[in-house]
Amino acid sequence: MPDRSADLVLTNGLIYTVDRKRPWASSVAVKGGRIVAVGEADAVSSLTGSATKTVDLGGAMLMPGIVDVHAHLMMGGQAELFELRFSPTSSLETLIARVAEAAAGAPQGAWIIGGQWGSDLLPRLNKLDALAALDKASQGRPVMLRDDTYHNRWINSEALRLAGVSAATPDPQKGSIGRDPTTGAPTGMMIESAAGIVESTIARSGHYTEEMDRAAMARSIATLNSYGVTAFLDAAAMQPILAALKGLDDRGELTAWSVSAMPAVEPSFMSGIAGDELIALRENYRGAHARPDFVKIFLDGVPGARTAAFHEPYVDDAILGCCFRGSTIVTVPELIRWVGKCEKLGLGVKIHCAGDAAVSQALDAIDVVRSFNGPTKLIHHIAHASYIAPDDVARFAELGVAADLSPFLWYPTSFLEGHKQTMGEARALRFWPNKDLLAAGALLAGGSDWPVMPNPDPWNGIEGLVTRRNPSGEFAGVALWPEQAIDVATALEIFTINSARAIGLADTVGSIEIGKSADFIKLDRNVLETPADEIADTKVLTTWFEGRVVYERS
Amino acid sequence: MSGADPLSPIPVTILTGFLGSGKTTVLNRLLKRPSLAGAAVIINEFGAIGLDHLLIEASEEQFTLLDNGCVCCTVRGDLVATLKALDLRSRAGELPGLTHVVIETTGLADPAPILHTLMAEPDLAGRYLVAGVVTTVDAVNGPATLDRHAEAAKQVAVADRLLVTKTDLVSDEALSELRHRLATLAPAARQSLARNGEADFDIMDVTHSAMAGDAREMAAWLDISAHECGPDCAHDHSDHHPGAGHHHGPREHHGQHHHGIQSYSFVIDKPVEWSAFARWLDYVAALKGEDLLRLKGLVHVTDEPERPLVLHGVQHVFHPPVRLDAWPSADRRTRLVFIVRDIDRETIARTLKKFAAIDATSTVAVGTGTPSRAAA
Repeated sequence: MPDRSADLVLTNGLIYTVDRKRPWASSVAVKGGRIVAVGEADAVSSLTGSATKTVDLGGAMLMPGIVDVHAHLMMGGQAELFELRFSPTSSLETLIARVAEAAAGAPQGAWIIGGQWGSDLLPRLNKLDALAALDKASQGRPVMLRDDTYHNRWINSEALRLAGVSAATPDPQKGSIGRDPTTGAPTGMMIESAAGIVESTIARSGHYTEEMDRAAMARSIATLNSYGVTAFLDAAAMQPILAALKGLDDRGELTAWSVSAMPAVEPSFMSGIAGDELIALRENYRGAHARPDFVKIFLDGVPGARTAAFHEPYVDDAILGCCFRGSTIVTVPELIRWVGKCEKLGLGVKIHCAGDAAVSQALDAIDVVRSFNGPTKLIHHIAHASYIAPDDVARFAELGVAADLSPFLWYPTSFLEGHKQTMGEARALRFWPNKDLLAAGALLAGGSDWPVMPNPDPWNGIEGLVTRRNPSGEFAGVALWPEQAIDVATALEIFTINSARAIGLADTVGSIEIGKSADFIKLDRNVLETPADEIADTKVLTTWFEGRVVYERS
Repeated sequence: MSGADPLSPIPVTILTGFLGSGKTTVLNRLLKRPSLAGAAVIINEFGAIGLDHLLIEASEEQFTLLDNGCVCCTVRGDLVATLKALDLRSRAGELPGLTHVVIETTGLADPAPILHTLMAEPDLAGRYLVAGVVTTVDAVNGPATLDRHAEAAKQVAVADRLLVTKTDLVSDEALSELRHRLATLAPAARQSLARNGEADFDIMDVTHSAMAGDAREMAAWLDISAHECGPDCAHDHSDHHPGAGHHHGPREHHGQHHHGIQSYSFVIDKPVEWSAFARWLDYVAALKGEDLLRLKGLVHVTDEPERPLVLHGVQHVFHPPVRLDAWPSADRRTRLVFIVRDIDRETIARTLKKFAAIDATSTVAVGTGTPSRAAA
């Protein structure tokens, strides 16, 4: 007779299953990494044998592991391990001081890479006097500092030199090089695709080695685990990322379920093969926990840099004049072709849409494909479902499109300040109509967009969904469009089962149900009864992935 | 249309047909006609192993003057480069007055990419004009070839003129059966017959002038929709099908043994808002281009109701629509003819309605009228 006894039994817990049929339990049993029983003590007692490890949860809250629908793993790990970090609210003076410190400790010629400055600081940095200060601080070392949107870079004169950028360099397609209005000399501000010039210079320099990539990936996943994340979608997975995930999985070192979105076009912030060439390789990178099942399309840029596509114009600007609405990077027919192709290949499409016009076009394209070819079960994502024309809200549910809620910007932030400058305050504040989407039946899926968020801590995002106030205490007393607040239980679904549905893993993760992966997190509090403004303080005490402890808070 | 005027575009006829269907014989005969004296022949071999060229008296990779004054060459690489070179030499006076170009494809070729090249290549625009696609079908082996080879069905489907060869080798009944089948697959194509390799038409006549805006020709293409036959069409098309002892309705002809290739047409009663319709065209081309073998249409647009637009598309390439000076007949309804692979007519109707607010009535496209058209 086969041994029915479980490998692991967790008892005496306040187990929130996120399974609407049975929201609460006290015990759960695990065998072979899968949940075999959920219920009260009697449900697991018969499964407890001599070899079963039993854990008394001591009344602590246990819930399914978090599913992050949008993260950039390698970059997150790189930022954590190898880069200079500063807050997006840092002033120019702080940036300069931090670069000076880093330069003092760095070898001559070594790149100093860091982030993220607030995009509202862009006009201040885009000046020759700021560049001069940066040059002085860096003492001849090349410097690249990313902004909080990750779309733009500010670099020093040595970096400009290494990248071959001078006053004579023309602006690249879909990007621009910041210039002094009188002399035309570059200011070191590399906007949108211009960021790719310096990123590829760094890539070619060999600054990031393969060893660093692997370490960054492992570190990234360890970081996710520490915040309770046990499944994620990498939202721009180039070959090194796919390779690192597959490599870790083959070695049994991948401690989260990974779904990857392969860029249709080489993103400005990364270099390497993309599109059909990359997609054709996807099966090479499939593993037990590694699923290259999405394609990423960047449809526009970001509102703060006036590169997002809107139905209504931006505030008048000296360079762009009046009536500039931004534009999409991909035409509607091109997008239709991509969505059609991906549906044929069985791949979901994650479409970056920062402006409401981009959202409309993405929905249009999906609508066209479905109207011609009929429905499929694939769930495409609008990332980031943030500025949405009222008429489009209902279309998410109609088309089965997931609203990718990332990064955590549904409360006042430096981003919002940047948007106010470019869009005007009234429009800027109509940001993240989460409640409207929910009421319209849309699938809302939570994500961090780490490292756009400095860390992937979902509790920050969950608190923000509930309060619409900045959990850090910055922008105190101000809420962003508080009518769009939602309740905690819904927010927990958004970061678990909803994201699991969105990334095609609903049968495996997202709730504590028999047959699913034993991915649990033990929390230091009952988040459903914690005052809303303290949810972000929630700490994950233990994270289990397939029944194994992968993080334990010390 | 005359090649004598250096500014007027040179008509190009694409001659295709399955292996052994007799197109080389037909071409050789046609080339002997005085009307083709100023024609250049390009034997296009790209993408396939060519044997046909061995039968034409020409050396490879260069222009050769044939006995009757035709220019002949074999292309293995770039058709665009060849056509450009031909144009340059013609204008430099190195070749006798170029009046027409015939591109003979290999038997396995898909003619659509050649149509693409001619329609979409900016370097050729204005210098050349697609006169039409002539497809040879062998009366003896044609039915079996159509059953077995998707390429053959596609060659028939995109044709403007179907030339049935070896007609002297089959019974009238078999010939009629084949012609009926061809009419189902390519309802708007004219059918002609060849006996002993001698075609009953002159290639200079095929000027398929949807592009040039020839109203008569367009009307012929669209004649099918004037047939006024809806999906519930009552009369039996097999009336025109002598020898068929059994009755079969029009639907039986669709999608049978044709590798998913079918044709149908739509009539639209109300004038069409061009911008909405053009957007729908963008969508269909983007998503279904590969399977949209041909689309022709005469469109009654709201902004200039007296002057219909002529529409012509091959896969994802659409010619800029040509505006006719007047309607070719009293029928002023928009008519669209589709030849497609694996696209349901319901998909077209549904999406036209949804994205262009157009109510299109589907008409069953069975080419019963082809014998008379062939005689035209």
